[in-house]
Amino acid sequence: MKTNSITRKFGKMLRLDVIYSEKIESLKITGDFFLHPEETLDQISEELTGVAVPIQKELLFRKIKYIMDSNEAEMIGITLEDILNTLDEATQ
Amino acid sequence: MTKFRMIPFALFNAFTNMALDDAIMEFVRKGISKPTIRFYGWDPSAVSIGVFQGIRNEVNLESTRKAGVDVVRRLTGGGAVYHDLTGEVTYSLIAPLDLFPTNIIESYRTICGDIVYALKQLGIDSMFTPINDILVNDQKISGNAQTRRNGILLQHGTILYRVDVEKMFTYLNVSDQKITDKLIKSVQKRVTSVVDLTNASMDDLQKALIMGFKRNREVEFGDYSDLEIQRAQEIIKDRFNNEIWTYRL
Repeated sequence: MKTNSITRKFGKMLRLDVIYSEKIESLKITGDFFLHPEETLDQISEELTGVAVPIQKELLFRKIKYIMDSNEAEMIGITLEDILNTLDEATQ
Repeated sequence: MTKFRMIPFALFNAFTNMALDDAIMEFVRKGISKPTIRFYGWDPSAVSIGVFQGIRNEVNLESTRKAGVDVVRRLTGGGAVYHDLTGEVTYSLIAPLDLFPTNIIESYRTICGDIVYALKQLGIDSMFTPINDILVNDQKISGNAQTRRNGILLQHGTILYRVDVEKMFTYLNVSDQKITDKLIKSVQKRVTSVVDLTNASMDDLQKALIMGFKRNREVEFGDYSDLEIQRAQEIIKDRFNNEIWTYRL
């Protein structure tokens, strides 16, 4: 089991604290970004927990985009790509 | 034109401040309370963190505990803010979403425009800078944050009256950097306040903000209702002074 914490500055800050082996065991997404409705972040974290490492960014993008669309969610200061690219980097 | 209730400046602790926003949102949604603009300060001084932030990453919890500085997690996103008892005026605007632009940045621009107008009354030329800041010559004088839930918009923000960067760093963690004189000077260059720019008093700032928020709205002055205060007390226990919320357990 490996752990990694990675902070990246986009429009706003994004920090990922991840525990992983062959899959993502635990993921905490924090930062000073905005996301409306805020509860959407829990759903995104749940979707990304348990996925295989290395992550399949395109597939996960589609899944998370579906969550965003279902919630009519809007993210400001970071993008879905930022989350996935940072997660990919954190689990290399 | 929709009539707003405007509640003049008063001091509350951090938990009450955030719970009043939450309670008013609930009662505006139910049609019990009028759309509201409130002004307030923080007694004791406090740190508020954004809804998505890690408290231990952002706050020096030992320093805040020793100094009796409250720490509260907001309903809104954005960054950690040190709210000094004598250093700022905070406002909240709570209203039906349909009174404001759907586009989030445009709604920030509309509300922050009232603050820009208020600062102009004090002789300060400032500018809304997306996403959520108001700057004077590239220096931040106001930070703002917004949430939208169940058709209600809450935007709250601070207008810096006086800023003490050294004190701020006592309570806020700075990621991956040591707090050095160089860092303090660098932040001092990026932040400004009303007293850095004018001779205006805190009272002048409050009056100017009232003018700013009144200019395009019909307002009547009012106070918190007993129902709102009672509901806020419940919300304090359930959320804002509750470790499950504060520490995101």
